[in-house]
Amino acid sequence: MEEYMVELHGVTKRFPGVLALDNVDFNLRGGEVLALLGENGAGKSTLMKILSGVYSKDEGTIQIFGKDVEDMSPKRAQELGVAIIHQELNMCKHLTVAENIFLDREITKYGVLADKEMEKQAKEILDKLNIDISPKTIVGDLAVSKQQMVEIAKALSTNAKVLIMDEPTSALTSKEIEDLFRIIKKLKEEGCGIVYISHRLEELQHIVDRVTILRDGQYITSMNFKDTDLGEIISNMVGREIKEKFPRVSCKKGKKILEVKNLNAGHMVRNINFDLYEGEIVGIAGLMGAGRTETTRAIFGIDAKESGEIYLEGKEVIIQKPMDAIRAGIVLAPEDRKKDGLCTKLSVRENIALSNLDFLCNKFGVVNQSKEIEMTDATVEDLRIKLPNNEVNAGSLSGGNQQKVVVGKWLARNSKVVIFDEPTRGIDVSAKVEIYNLMNQLKLQGIGVLFVSSEMPEVMGISDRVIVMCDGKITGHLNKEEATQDIILKYATQFDQKIGVAE
Amino acid sequence: MKSNSKQSVFKKLISARGMGQVLTVTVGLIILSIVFGILNPTFASSKNVGNLLRQIAPIILIGIGQSYVLITGNIDLSIGSVVGMSCMISATLMTKGMNPWVAVLVTIFCCLAVGLINGELVAKCKLPPFIATLGTMTIARGIAQIVNNNYNTDSIGDAAKGFRNFFYYGKVLGLYNTIWIAIILWIIFNFLLSKTRTGRHVYAIGSNIDAAQLSGVNVVATTVKAYLVSAFCASIVGLIICATTGMGTMDAGNMYEMYAVAASVIGGVSTLGGQGILLGTVIGAAIWGVLQNGLQFAGAPVAIRNIVIGIIVVVSVLLDVVVRSGKPRKKKV
Repeated sequence: MEEYMVELHGVTKRFPGVLALDNVDFNLRGGEVLALLGENGAGKSTLMKILSGVYSKDEGTIQIFGKDVEDMSPKRAQELGVAIIHQELNMCKHLTVAENIFLDREITKYGVLADKEMEKQAKEILDKLNIDISPKTIVGDLAVSKQQMVEIAKALSTNAKVLIMDEPTSALTSKEIEDLFRIIKKLKEEGCGIVYISHRLEELQHIVDRVTILRDGQYITSMNFKDTDLGEIISNMVGREIKEKFPRVSCKKGKKILEVKNLNAGHMVRNINFDLYEGEIVGIAGLMGAGRTETTRAIFGIDAKESGEIYLEGKEVIIQKPMDAIRAGIVLAPEDRKKDGLCTKLSVRENIALSNLDFLCNKFGVVNQSKEIEMTDATVEDLRIKLPNNEVNAGSLSGGNQQKVVVGKWLARNSKVVIFDEPTRGIDVSAKVEIYNLMNQLKLQGIGVLFVSSEMPEVMGISDRVIVMCDGKITGHLNKEEATQDIILKYATQFDQKIGVAE
Repeated sequence: MKSNSKQSVFKKLISARGMGQVLTVTVGLIILSIVFGILNPTFASSKNVGNLLRQIAPIILIGIGQSYVLITGNIDLSIGSVVGMSCMISATLMTKGMNPWVAVLVTIFCCLAVGLINGELVAKCKLPPFIATLGTMTIARGIAQIVNNNYNTDSIGDAAKGFRNFFYYGKVLGLYNTIWIAIILWIIFNFLLSKTRTGRHVYAIGSNIDAAQLSGVNVVATTVKAYLVSAFCASIVGLIICATTGMGTMDAGNMYEMYAVAASVIGGVSTLGGQGILLGTVIGAAIWGVLQNGLQFAGAPVAIRNIVIGIIVVVSVLLDVVVRSGKPRKKKV
């Protein structure tokens, strides 16, 4: 077993309510580039954060260069030669490039920072990587892609033997990606082991020797890249059978209710076009960071739009802030229920009333209590929200019932379009079915339902149509008959290529 | 982008971290001084300037302490009460006959304990710094009141003459000792902040605490050190006040937390953390002093002076939040 630089055995990690990693094995040889692949939530980043000491493992063993390591911490990992480039940029924006590169490894002379020396060494590292940035530049003044390069330079400057890159190319231009690949190849020749996490499957062929695939927190397989193909990789990534039953109802598709034209809002929402009909559920699929949430936020008026039009029942509506959307009849059940969807410390009654105070209050601004209670009772009954009484804190309900309250507060307003962002995240199976039933119920009432989900089976099981996004763009429109996991994933990983539309 | 080795000294000065903002406020300081000098020529008399500098020195000191904490992205509201505590503890010990220099050491030690508690509460227990130091502010004021049974002390007497000269009345090279203390401590703390690892880490955790932590920076230790600097500076100011008045007053340092924030923020230290230099704090303290002193000469009552300082602080923070949150942070992705 000498040949492995890193060996992880039986690594298990639990987060509250979730088993993020379940008895995972992982190994890495010197002089190879290993792609760690899997869908959203498969556990790739968690596994690498354990290897680099950011998270602690619950069970299992870590061996680095044949030695057991128990007390893993970011500092310890660095000493052992493990460096990680995190998915989110982790730079001190007010410090210079050199200061960031040498953070906590500052070179000092007699206790005084040797800035000149650090700048010189930083320059050498940057030159080696062919990055044209002055080490004296303040990091916050750099473009995101340059910041990413600095992050890479920082990781390399530790003389790491094991280098983990979590989505290193997401912010880079194609030239920068080429530079990065050149660096990776060079490091490989020098005997470093590199773990490469990316959703951009088409990139793999340029650099990868081996792939390891995780799914739902479990180790699935490892293969030599040249012995496999993208099709096999994809089917291993998604390979679960669809066991859950999805209650699908059919009803007549009504008239067009929502039309989004040429919507642009930052680089995560680029030229979005789609429409939605009465009595229809449209699922938006895609990988993490594909711009789905951003699209819903732009439609709902949370983030500013750069351009684009939104038509509701044929008439253009101007949405500059959430209130405009709500008044028009477009409502959003946000991704993070507890943070954005509910006032968890207020009662269910107060939560439901909150978005409807305009017609619950008389003209002096006093809340009409009997109307409020009536509305709450009607909503609770309609949506079959299970609760002891209307006065309990919204935060005390189960996830599924919380979601119903989030939606319920909008339904009292006769909304026409309901947007769900990850409505079933973190709730149990039976509650999920209730949420599906709720969506179906809305659909039967002639409401247009748009829902974003990272769980492909539910997108396929519930939607009448599926929109696939990648990198801020829509890469595919699929009918429910066409939508299979493989096809969705194919479109979801279609980076910077011609937009494919299956018709 | 390229660094030019032939850059003139002036250019280098301008491009140094935080200098742009400091130069801007320096211009403001000069304009203010000229206006007050024209309004009332005695303002510019050498006697008044000497007094003014001596008035500003304690504000520079607490400003340094507060700047350290602000740069880590936190705040220290207890700083004024620690000044009071320092004044009362040292005076009480001296009136009880303790050797003044031993009393000074004991006082500084007690104040550092408050700084340690602040740092632990904020960094280790993760309390919001505003609330944690609001609590210790009240506690420290209570201690200032309790050490002499809720009375101001009697005169600290002749035995403390050396102490009083050292902190207030003495002069070296024509400058009052108080001013020298501020200058020397400024040099030390400025060196620590800009030239040592700990100083670098102070900026790093204020800039991005996660990045600092993932790079291996000891966030708890660094935060505690910043609060210790703050408490140390406050203890020195308390000693200066004790030396000035020759007795312990329970409400010494009242409002100083506000003055400390004022000096820092006017001088360009960001309340959002990660930005600011101690030279700015000096200029900020000077603006505070010139306003107080100048308005006094112009006949403005204390109430008006408070209102003016308050407005300037709020406007400075507003500018800080508007300019800073708008600039380096890229659009939310």
